[in-house]
Amino acid sequence: MTILHRIVLIASALVITGAATAAQTGQPSPRDISGFWALFSDGKKVPPAKLLPRVTKAMLDLHARQDVHAIRWCNPIGLPMIMDSAAIDIRQGPTAIFMAPESSLVPRYVYLNRKHVSADIYDPSTSGDSVASWEGDTLVVDTIGFHPTHGVTSIPGGGFRTDKTHLVERYRLLQNGEVLSVQFTWTDPTVFSAPHTYEFRYRRLPATYEPVSTWPCDPYDQTRAEFLGDPAPFRAEKR
Amino acid sequence: MRNAAIVLLLMVVAAAPTMAQTKPESLTGVERLEGDWVRIDPNGSGDFGGLASTFTPASLTPQGNAAMEAGQRQAAAPRGPAFTENARHDPGVPYIVVSRPCGAGPFGGGALGINPDSGGIHFVVHKDEIIFAPERGGFRHIYMDGRKHPDLTRWTPTASGHSVGRMENGELVVDTIGITPGLVTAGGWRTVETRLTERFVVSPDGKHLTINYRWEDPALYQKPHEYHYEFDRLPAGSYALEYWCDASDPAEQESVTPPSQ
Repeated sequence: MTILHRIVLIASALVITGAATAAQTGQPSPRDISGFWALFSDGKKVPPAKLLPRVTKAMLDLHARQDVHAIRWCNPIGLPMIMDSAAIDIRQGPTAIFMAPESSLVPRYVYLNRKHVSADIYDPSTSGDSVASWEGDTLVVDTIGFHPTHGVTSIPGGGFRTDKTHLVERYRLLQNGEVLSVQFTWTDPTVFSAPHTYEFRYRRLPATYEPVSTWPCDPYDQTRAEFLGDPAPFRAEKR
Repeated sequence: MRNAAIVLLLMVVAAAPTMAQTKPESLTGVERLEGDWVRIDPNGSGDFGGLASTFTPASLTPQGNAAMEAGQRQAAAPRGPAFTENARHDPGVPYIVVSRPCGAGPFGGGALGINPDSGGIHFVVHKDEIIFAPERGGFRHIYMDGRKHPDLTRWTPTASGHSVGRMENGELVVDTIGITPGLVTAGGWRTVETRLTERFVVSPDGKHLTINYRWEDPALYQKPHEYHYEFDRLPAGSYALEYWCDASDPAEQESVTPPSQ
Protein backbone atom coordinates (compact mmCIF):
# COMPACT_ATOMS: atom_id res chain seq x y z
CA MET A 1 0.00 0.00 0.00
CA THR A 2 1.47 3.30 -1.05
CA ILE A 3 1.51 6.43 1.09
CA LEU A 4 -1.19 7.89 -1.13
CA HIS A 5 -3.37 4.82 -0.49
CA ARG A 6 -2.97 5.31 3.23
CA ILE A 7 -3.72 9.04 3.12
CA VAL A 8 -6.90 8.46 1.18
CA LEU A 9 -8.05 5.62 3.45
CA ILE A 10 -7.30 7.52 6.66
CA ALA A 11 -8.94 10.71 5.42
CA SER A 12 -12.04 8.81 4.31
CA ALA A 13 -12.24 6.91 7.61
CA LEU A 14 -11.91 10.12 9.62
CA VAL A 15 -14.71 11.79 7.69
CA ILE A 16 -17.04 8.79 7.96
CA THR A 17 -16.21 8.08 11.61
CA GLY A 18 -16.61 11.69 12.64
CA ALA A 19 -20.04 12.01 11.10
CA ALA A 20 -21.21 8.66 12.46
CA THR A 21 -19.93 9.37 15.95
CA ALA A 22 -21.63 12.75 16.14
CA ALA A 23 -24.89 11.25 14.92
CA GLN A 24 -24.79 8.26 17.25
CA THR A 25 -23.70 9.91 20.48
CA GLY A 26 -26.02 12.89 20.17
CA GLN A 27 -23.12 15.06 21.25
CA PRO A 28 -23.44 18.64 20.09
CA SER A 29 -21.44 19.33 16.99
CA PRO A 30 -18.65 21.83 17.72
CA ARG A 31 -19.88 23.69 14.66
CA ASP A 32 -23.50 24.06 15.77
CA ILE A 33 -24.11 26.72 18.42
CA SER A 34 -27.89 26.17 18.42
CA GLY A 35 -29.65 25.95 21.74
CA PHE A 36 -31.26 27.89 24.53
CA TRP A 37 -28.56 29.80 26.38
CA ALA A 38 -28.60 31.64 29.70
CA LEU A 39 -26.26 34.39 30.81
CA PHE A 40 -25.70 34.59 34.54
CA SER A 41 -23.82 37.17 36.56
CA ASP A 42 -20.73 34.92 36.73
CA GLY A 43 -20.66 34.66 32.96
CA LYS A 44 -19.35 38.14 32.28
CA LYS A 45 -15.73 39.25 32.22
CA VAL A 46 -15.66 42.86 31.13
CA PRO A 47 -12.58 45.08 31.53
CA PRO A 48 -12.90 48.86 31.27
CA ALA A 49 -12.71 50.19 27.72
CA LYS A 50 -9.91 52.50 26.65
CA LEU A 51 -11.69 55.56 25.31
CA LEU A 52 -10.37 58.42 23.20
CA PRO A 53 -9.95 61.78 24.97
CA ARG A 54 -12.71 63.19 22.73
CA VAL A 55 -15.24 60.89 24.41
CA THR A 56 -16.45 63.07 27.25
CA LYS A 57 -18.59 62.25 30.23
CA ALA A 58 -21.31 64.38 28.67
CA MET A 59 -21.29 62.15 25.57
CA LEU A 60 -21.46 58.99 27.66
CA ASP A 61 -24.31 60.46 29.71
CA LEU A 62 -26.24 61.36 26.56
CA HIS A 63 -25.99 57.80 25.27
CA ALA A 64 -27.08 56.48 28.67
CA ARG A 65 -30.15 58.73 28.54
CA GLN A 66 -30.92 57.67 24.99
CA ASP A 67 -30.73 54.06 26.15
CA VAL A 68 -33.42 54.71 28.74
CA HIS A 69 -35.54 56.36 26.04
CA ALA A 70 -35.21 53.28 23.81
CA ILE A 71 -36.28 50.98 26.63
CA ARG A 72 -39.07 53.30 27.74
CA TRP A 73 -40.59 53.34 24.23
CA CYS A 74 -40.09 49.63 23.53
CA ASN A 75 -37.79 50.30 20.60
CA PRO A 76 -35.59 47.56 19.15
CA ILE A 77 -32.57 47.37 21.46
CA GLY A 78 -30.01 45.74 19.14
CA LEU A 79 -26.38 45.06 19.88
CA PRO A 80 -24.74 44.87 22.34
CA MET A 81 -27.70 44.58 24.72
CA ILE A 82 -29.40 41.85 22.67
CA MET A 83 -26.55 39.54 23.72
CA ASP A 84 -26.74 40.65 27.35
CA SER A 85 -30.06 38.97 28.03
CA ALA A 86 -31.10 36.33 30.51
CA ALA A 87 -32.09 33.69 27.95
CA ILE A 88 -31.31 33.59 24.25
CA ASP A 89 -32.57 31.17 21.61
CA ILE A 90 -29.89 30.61 18.98
CA ARG A 91 -30.76 28.53 15.91
CA GLN A 92 -28.22 27.77 13.24
CA GLY A 93 -29.63 27.00 9.81
CA PRO A 94 -27.80 26.18 6.58
CA THR A 95 -27.55 29.83 5.50
CA ALA A 96 -28.20 31.95 8.58
CA ILE A 97 -28.12 31.97 12.36
CA PHE A 98 -31.05 33.44 14.28
CA MET A 99 -30.53 34.92 17.73
CA ALA A 100 -33.46 36.04 19.84
CA PRO A 101 -33.41 37.04 23.47
CA GLU A 102 -36.60 36.55 25.43
CA SER A 103 -36.57 40.24 26.27
CA SER A 104 -36.96 41.62 22.74
CA LEU A 105 -39.39 41.36 19.86
CA VAL A 106 -36.63 42.09 17.39
CA PRO A 107 -34.15 39.29 16.70
CA ARG A 108 -30.73 39.29 15.14
CA TYR A 109 -29.57 37.47 12.00
CA VAL A 110 -26.06 36.30 11.17
CA TYR A 111 -25.60 35.28 7.56
CA LEU A 112 -23.40 32.32 6.65
CA ASN A 113 -23.70 32.48 2.88
CA ARG A 114 -22.76 35.98 1.86
CA LYS A 115 -20.54 38.98 2.38
CA HIS A 116 -21.63 42.31 3.84
CA VAL A 117 -24.39 44.10 1.99
CA SER A 118 -23.05 47.15 0.18
CA ALA A 119 -23.13 50.21 2.41
CA ASP A 120 -24.79 52.03 -0.49
CA ILE A 121 -27.98 50.05 -0.03
CA TYR A 122 -27.83 48.75 3.55
CA ASP A 123 -30.26 50.40 5.91
CA PRO A 124 -28.34 50.84 9.20
CA SER A 125 -29.92 48.96 12.08
CA THR A 126 -29.57 48.40 15.80
CA SER A 127 -27.82 45.05 15.30
CA GLY A 128 -26.03 45.94 12.07
CA ASP A 129 -25.18 43.59 9.21
CA SER A 130 -23.58 40.38 10.50
CA VAL A 131 -21.79 37.77 8.40
CA ALA A 132 -19.89 34.78 9.71
CA SER A 133 -17.49 32.01 8.82
CA TRP A 134 -15.84 29.16 10.68
CA GLU A 135 -12.18 29.19 11.67
CA GLY A 136 -11.73 25.65 12.93
CA ASP A 137 -14.34 25.26 15.66
CA THR A 138 -14.66 29.00 16.22
CA LEU A 139 -17.44 30.92 14.54
CA VAL A 140 -16.19 34.39 13.68
CA VAL A 141 -18.98 36.94 13.25
CA ASP A 142 -18.21 40.28 11.63
CA THR A 143 -20.66 43.15 12.05
CA ILE A 144 -20.84 46.64 10.58
CA GLY A 145 -23.73 48.88 9.56
CA PHE A 146 -24.84 50.00 12.99
CA HIS A 147 -27.32 52.82 13.42
CA PRO A 148 -25.62 55.53 15.50
CA THR A 149 -28.58 56.41 17.73
CA HIS A 150 -31.30 53.77 17.44
CA GLY A 151 -31.67 51.25 20.24
CA VAL A 152 -29.42 50.81 23.26
CA THR A 153 -26.01 52.03 22.13
CA SER A 154 -23.88 51.83 25.30
CA ILE A 155 -21.24 49.09 25.29
CA PRO A 156 -20.32 47.04 28.39
CA GLY A 157 -17.10 48.37 29.87
CA GLY A 158 -17.58 51.84 28.41
CA GLY A 159 -18.13 53.60 25.15
CA PHE A 160 -20.93 53.33 22.64
CA ARG A 161 -21.52 52.23 19.09
CA THR A 162 -21.65 54.62 16.14
CA ASP A 163 -22.02 54.24 12.37
CA LYS A 164 -18.24 53.70 12.25
CA THR A 165 -18.23 50.82 14.72
CA HIS A 166 -16.91 47.38 13.78
CA LEU A 167 -17.63 44.36 15.96
CA VAL A 168 -15.97 40.96 15.74
CA GLU A 169 -17.40 38.12 17.84
CA ARG A 170 -15.76 34.72 18.31
CA TYR A 171 -18.13 31.93 19.35
CA ARG A 172 -16.76 28.66 20.80
CA LEU A 173 -18.44 25.75 22.55
CA LEU A 174 -16.70 24.72 25.77
CA GLN A 175 -17.18 21.94 28.32
CA ASN A 176 -18.64 19.40 25.93
CA GLY A 177 -21.03 21.95 24.48
CA GLU A 178 -22.57 22.99 27.79
CA VAL A 179 -20.99 26.45 27.72
CA LEU A 180 -20.92 28.95 24.86
CA SER A 181 -18.05 31.43 24.99
CA VAL A 182 -18.44 34.64 23.03
CA GLN A 183 -15.54 37.05 22.82
CA PHE A 184 -16.61 40.51 21.69
CA THR A 185 -14.09 42.93 20.20
CA TRP A 186 -15.27 46.45 19.42
CA THR A 187 -13.29 48.93 17.37
CA ASP A 188 -14.29 52.45 16.43
CA PRO A 189 -11.86 55.23 15.45
CA THR A 190 -14.17 57.82 16.99
CA VAL A 191 -14.66 56.10 20.37
CA PHE A 192 -11.95 53.62 21.37
CA SER A 193 -8.18 54.22 21.62
CA ALA A 194 -7.63 50.45 21.47
CA PRO A 195 -9.82 47.48 20.57
CA HIS A 196 -12.21 46.79 23.42
CA THR A 197 -12.50 43.06 24.14
CA TYR A 198 -14.61 41.24 26.70
CA GLU A 199 -16.10 37.77 27.05
CA PHE A 200 -19.51 36.41 27.96
CA ARG A 201 -20.06 32.73 28.80
CA TYR A 202 -23.58 31.37 28.39
CA ARG A 203 -24.81 28.12 29.95
CA ARG A 204 -26.90 25.73 27.91
CA LEU A 205 -30.48 25.41 29.13
CA PRO A 206 -32.34 22.08 28.83
CA ALA A 207 -33.32 21.19 25.26
CA THR A 208 -36.94 21.08 26.41
CA TYR A 209 -36.81 24.72 27.53
CA GLU A 210 -39.86 26.75 26.53
CA PRO A 211 -38.89 30.39 26.00
CA VAL A 212 -41.30 33.03 27.16
CA SER A 213 -42.72 34.14 23.86
CA THR A 214 -41.68 37.77 23.96
CA TRP A 215 -42.44 40.10 26.80
CA PRO A 216 -45.37 42.45 26.34
CA CYS A 217 -43.59 45.78 26.19
CA ASP A 218 -46.25 48.46 26.18
CA PRO A 219 -45.08 52.07 25.61
CA TYR A 220 -48.56 53.23 26.63
CA ASP A 221 -48.39 51.67 30.10
CA GLN A 222 -48.50 54.88 32.15
CA THR A 223 -47.26 53.33 35.39
CA ARG A 224 -44.27 51.85 33.60
CA ALA A 225 -43.64 55.13 31.79
CA GLU A 226 -43.62 57.07 35.04
CA PHE A 227 -41.27 54.54 36.63
CA LEU A 228 -38.73 54.75 33.79
CA GLY A 229 -39.11 58.42 32.88
CA ASP A 230 -37.76 59.72 29.59
CA PRO A 231 -34.46 61.58 30.10
CA ALA A 232 -33.94 61.98 26.33
CA PRO A 233 -37.27 62.90 24.74
CA PHE A 234 -37.75 62.36 21.01
CA ARG A 235 -35.80 64.60 18.65
CA ALA A 236 -36.22 64.36 14.90
CA GLU A 237 -33.12 63.07 13.15
CA LYS A 238 -31.23 65.36 10.80
CA ARG A 239 -31.57 64.17 7.21
CA MET B 1 -4.78 6.00 -6.54
CA ARG B 2 -2.98 9.26 -7.20
CA ASN B 3 -6.08 10.36 -9.06
CA ALA B 4 -8.27 9.40 -6.10
CA ALA B 5 -6.15 11.52 -3.80
CA ILE B 6 -6.42 14.47 -6.12
CA VAL B 7 -10.20 14.02 -6.35
CA LEU B 8 -10.46 13.90 -2.55
CA LEU B 9 -8.35 17.03 -2.25
CA LEU B 10 -10.44 18.81 -4.83
CA MET B 11 -13.63 17.80 -3.01
CA VAL B 12 -12.32 19.26 0.25
CA VAL B 13 -11.15 22.45 -1.44
CA ALA B 14 -14.40 22.80 -3.38
CA ALA B 15 -16.55 22.23 -0.30
CA ALA B 16 -15.47 25.42 1.46
CA PRO B 17 -16.62 28.01 -1.10
CA THR B 18 -19.73 25.94 -1.91
CA MET B 19 -20.81 25.99 1.72
CA ALA B 20 -20.06 29.67 1.93
CA GLN B 21 -22.41 30.43 -0.94
CA THR B 22 -25.27 28.01 -0.25
CA LYS B 23 -28.43 29.00 -2.07
CA PRO B 24 -31.52 28.10 -0.01
CA GLU B 25 -33.38 26.81 -3.08
CA SER B 26 -30.64 24.25 -3.61
CA LEU B 27 -31.22 22.64 -0.21
CA THR B 28 -33.23 19.48 0.34
CA GLY B 29 -36.01 18.35 2.68
CA VAL B 30 -37.31 20.79 5.23
CA GLU B 31 -34.22 22.95 4.78
CA ARG B 32 -35.69 24.16 1.46
CA LEU B 33 -37.86 26.43 3.58
CA GLU B 34 -34.79 28.32 4.80
CA GLY B 35 -34.44 31.91 3.68
CA ASP B 36 -36.48 34.98 2.86
CA TRP B 37 -39.99 35.12 1.39
CA VAL B 38 -42.67 37.68 0.62
CA ARG B 39 -46.39 37.17 0.32
CA ILE B 40 -47.86 37.71 -3.14
CA ASP B 41 -51.27 38.42 -4.63
CA PRO B 42 -51.47 35.74 -7.35
CA ASN B 43 -55.04 36.60 -8.34
CA GLY B 44 -54.49 40.28 -8.97
CA SER B 45 -56.97 41.09 -6.24
CA GLY B 46 -55.40 44.48 -5.62
CA ASP B 47 -54.91 44.13 -1.88
CA PHE B 48 -54.88 41.41 0.73
CA GLY B 49 -58.44 42.27 1.75
CA GLY B 50 -59.50 41.65 -1.83
CA LEU B 51 -57.50 38.44 -1.88
CA ALA B 52 -59.16 37.19 1.31
CA SER B 53 -62.56 37.89 -0.24
CA THR B 54 -61.80 35.14 -2.79
CA PHE B 55 -61.47 32.54 -0.02
CA THR B 56 -64.41 30.42 1.06
CA PRO B 57 -65.88 32.23 4.08
CA ALA B 58 -65.76 30.50 7.43
CA SER B 59 -68.89 28.62 8.52
CA LEU B 60 -69.22 29.61 12.12
CA THR B 61 -71.47 28.02 14.72
CA PRO B 62 -73.84 30.31 16.66
CA GLN B 63 -71.26 30.31 19.45
CA GLY B 64 -68.57 31.19 16.94
CA ASN B 65 -70.62 34.07 15.56
CA ALA B 66 -71.28 35.41 19.05
CA ALA B 67 -67.59 35.20 19.96
CA MET B 68 -66.57 37.01 16.79
CA GLU B 69 -69.12 39.80 17.24
CA ALA B 70 -67.98 40.35 20.81
CA GLY B 71 -64.38 40.40 19.68
CA GLN B 72 -65.07 42.87 16.90
CA ARG B 73 -66.85 45.22 19.32
CA GLN B 74 -63.80 45.10 21.55
CA ALA B 75 -61.45 45.69 18.62
CA ALA B 76 -63.48 48.68 17.47
CA ALA B 77 -63.26 50.35 20.87
CA PRO B 78 -61.57 53.75 20.67
CA ARG B 79 -58.85 52.84 23.15
CA GLY B 80 -56.54 49.89 23.36
CA PRO B 81 -53.20 48.78 22.06
CA ALA B 82 -52.16 49.88 18.60
CA PHE B 83 -55.12 49.40 16.35
CA THR B 84 -55.83 50.37 12.78
CA GLU B 85 -59.17 51.90 12.01
CA ASN B 86 -60.50 50.10 8.97
CA ALA B 87 -63.68 52.13 8.53
CA ARG B 88 -64.30 54.07 5.31
CA HIS B 89 -63.45 57.77 5.56
CA ASP B 90 -64.89 60.64 3.56
CA PRO B 91 -62.55 62.69 1.34
CA GLY B 92 -61.27 65.81 3.04
CA VAL B 93 -62.01 64.61 6.55
CA PRO B 94 -58.79 63.90 8.47
CA TYR B 95 -58.50 60.81 10.64
CA ILE B 96 -55.84 59.05 12.66
CA VAL B 97 -54.54 55.98 10.83
CA VAL B 98 -53.09 54.23 13.88
CA SER B 99 -54.07 55.55 17.27
CA ARG B 100 -51.31 53.92 19.30
CA PRO B 101 -48.44 53.08 16.98
CA CYS B 102 -45.60 50.69 17.75
CA GLY B 103 -47.41 49.17 20.70
CA ALA B 104 -47.48 45.58 21.80
CA GLY B 105 -50.72 45.15 19.91
CA PRO B 106 -51.51 43.05 16.90
CA PHE B 107 -47.94 42.79 15.65
CA GLY B 108 -46.49 41.63 18.93
CA GLY B 109 -45.51 38.10 19.75
CA GLY B 110 -45.38 36.73 16.22
CA ALA B 111 -49.00 37.31 15.15
CA LEU B 112 -47.75 38.14 11.67
CA GLY B 113 -46.27 34.66 11.56
CA ILE B 114 -49.82 33.32 11.77
CA ASN B 115 -51.18 35.85 9.30
CA PRO B 116 -48.31 37.29 7.23
CA ASP B 117 -48.81 40.66 5.58
CA SER B 118 -46.73 42.40 2.91
CA GLY B 119 -43.59 42.46 5.06
CA GLY B 120 -40.96 39.84 4.41
CA ILE B 121 -40.90 36.58 6.36
CA HIS B 122 -37.76 34.67 7.24
CA PHE B 123 -37.12 31.02 8.09
CA VAL B 124 -34.09 29.60 9.83
CA VAL B 125 -34.26 25.81 9.82
CA HIS B 126 -32.57 23.73 12.51
CA LYS B 127 -33.24 20.06 13.14
CA ASP B 128 -34.73 20.75 16.59
CA GLU B 129 -36.54 24.02 15.90
CA ILE B 130 -37.60 26.13 12.95
CA ILE B 131 -37.78 29.87 13.37
CA PHE B 132 -40.54 31.66 11.45
CA ALA B 133 -39.90 35.39 11.75
CA PRO B 134 -42.12 38.04 10.19
CA GLU B 135 -40.18 41.20 9.47
CA ARG B 136 -42.45 43.58 11.35
CA GLY B 137 -42.16 42.02 14.74
CA GLY B 138 -42.02 38.89 16.81
CA PHE B 139 -41.21 35.35 15.74
CA ARG B 140 -42.56 31.84 16.03
CA HIS B 141 -40.76 28.86 17.51
CA ILE B 142 -41.77 25.67 15.67
CA TYR B 143 -40.43 22.76 17.69
CA MET B 144 -39.24 19.79 15.63
CA ASP B 145 -37.80 17.77 18.52
CA GLY B 146 -40.88 15.66 19.16
CA ARG B 147 -42.17 17.59 22.16
CA LYS B 148 -45.91 17.75 22.83
CA HIS B 149 -48.08 20.80 23.33
CA PRO B 150 -48.25 22.05 26.93
CA ASP B 151 -51.36 21.63 29.04
CA LEU B 152 -53.44 24.68 28.06
CA THR B 153 -54.50 25.19 31.68
CA ARG B 154 -50.84 26.05 32.37
CA TRP B 155 -50.20 28.02 29.19
CA THR B 156 -50.36 31.78 28.81
CA PRO B 157 -51.89 32.43 25.37
CA THR B 158 -49.65 34.26 22.92
CA ALA B 159 -50.18 35.86 19.52
CA SER B 160 -48.50 32.91 17.81
CA GLY B 161 -49.42 30.11 20.22
CA HIS B 162 -47.43 26.91 20.73
CA SER B 163 -46.31 25.16 17.56
CA VAL B 164 -44.89 21.70 16.92
CA GLY B 165 -43.87 20.48 13.48
CA ARG B 166 -43.23 17.26 11.62
CA MET B 167 -42.47 16.19 8.06
CA GLU B 168 -45.17 14.41 6.07
CA ASN B 169 -44.56 13.38 2.46
CA GLY B 170 -41.85 15.98 2.10
CA GLU B 171 -44.01 18.79 3.52
CA LEU B 172 -43.65 20.56 6.82
CA VAL B 173 -46.84 20.19 8.86
CA VAL B 174 -47.20 22.51 11.85
CA ASP B 175 -49.78 22.07 14.58
CA THR B 176 -50.57 25.11 16.74
CA ILE B 177 -52.81 25.77 19.74
CA GLY B 178 -52.78 28.33 22.55
CA ILE B 179 -53.21 31.45 20.41
CA THR B 180 -54.82 34.54 21.87
CA PRO B 181 -58.47 35.01 20.78
CA GLY B 182 -58.86 37.02 17.60
CA LEU B 183 -59.98 37.31 14.02
CA VAL B 184 -59.06 34.70 11.43
CA THR B 185 -58.82 35.45 7.71
CA ALA B 186 -62.06 35.15 5.71
CA GLY B 187 -64.53 35.53 8.53
CA GLY B 188 -63.09 33.17 11.07
CA TRP B 189 -62.48 33.43 14.80
CA ARG B 190 -60.12 31.66 17.14
CA THR B 191 -59.76 30.97 20.84
CA VAL B 192 -56.99 29.40 22.87
CA GLU B 193 -58.44 25.93 22.16
CA THR B 194 -58.71 26.42 18.38
CA ARG B 195 -56.30 24.18 16.46
CA LEU B 196 -54.42 25.50 13.44
CA THR B 197 -52.74 23.11 11.06
CA GLU B 198 -50.39 24.62 8.48
CA ARG B 199 -48.81 22.73 5.60
CA PHE B 200 -45.77 24.39 4.03
CA VAL B 201 -45.23 23.38 0.40
CA VAL B 202 -42.12 24.58 -1.44
CA SER B 203 -42.25 24.34 -5.24
CA PRO B 204 -39.81 21.99 -7.01
CA ASP B 205 -37.66 24.91 -8.13
CA GLY B 206 -37.51 26.22 -4.54
CA LYS B 207 -38.76 29.66 -5.52
CA HIS B 208 -42.39 29.51 -4.46
CA LEU B 209 -44.04 28.69 -1.14
CA THR B 210 -47.65 27.87 -0.37
CA ILE B 211 -48.94 27.78 3.19
CA ASN B 212 -52.22 25.90 3.54
CA TYR B 213 -54.20 26.87 6.63
CA ARG B 214 -56.84 24.70 8.34
CA TRP B 215 -58.60 25.97 11.45
CA GLU B 216 -60.55 23.45 13.51
CA ASP B 217 -62.71 24.03 16.55
CA PRO B 218 -66.08 22.27 16.93
CA ALA B 219 -67.27 25.04 19.24
CA LEU B 220 -66.61 27.76 16.65
CA TYR B 221 -66.71 26.14 13.21
CA GLN B 222 -69.36 24.01 11.51
CA LYS B 223 -66.57 22.56 9.38
CA PRO B 224 -62.82 23.16 9.17
CA HIS B 225 -61.99 26.60 7.79
CA GLU B 226 -59.39 26.39 5.03
CA TYR B 227 -57.51 28.79 2.77
CA HIS B 228 -53.97 29.29 1.54
CA TYR B 229 -51.39 32.04 1.13
CA GLU B 230 -48.70 32.17 -1.51
CA PHE B 231 -45.18 33.54 -1.32
CA ASP B 232 -42.19 34.11 -3.59
CA ARG B 233 -38.61 33.64 -2.51
CA LEU B 234 -36.79 36.97 -2.25
CA PRO B 235 -33.77 37.48 -4.50
CA ALA B 236 -30.33 36.29 -3.41
CA GLY B 237 -28.64 38.82 -1.17
CA SER B 238 -31.90 39.85 0.52
CA TYR B 239 -31.78 40.37 4.25
CA ALA B 240 -34.20 40.94 7.10
CA LEU B 241 -34.97 44.63 7.33
CA GLU B 242 -35.30 46.09 10.79
CA TYR B 243 -38.79 47.43 11.29
CA TRP B 244 -38.24 50.70 13.10
CA CYS B 245 -41.20 52.27 14.79
CA ASP B 246 -40.68 54.77 17.60
CA ALA B 247 -43.88 55.38 19.52
CA SER B 248 -42.41 58.63 20.83
CA ASP B 249 -42.20 60.07 17.31
CA PRO B 250 -45.16 62.48 16.88
CA ALA B 251 -45.12 61.75 13.14
CA GLU B 252 -46.29 58.22 13.89
CA GLN B 253 -49.62 59.61 15.08
CA GLU B 254 -50.16 62.21 12.41
CA SER B 255 -53.58 62.25 10.84
CA VAL B 256 -54.29 61.47 7.21
CA THR B 257 -56.75 63.31 5.00
CA PRO B 258 -58.22 61.16 2.24
CA PRO B 259 -57.92 62.99 -1.10
CA SER B 260 -60.90 63.79 -3.27
CA GLN B 261 -61.65 61.04 -5.75
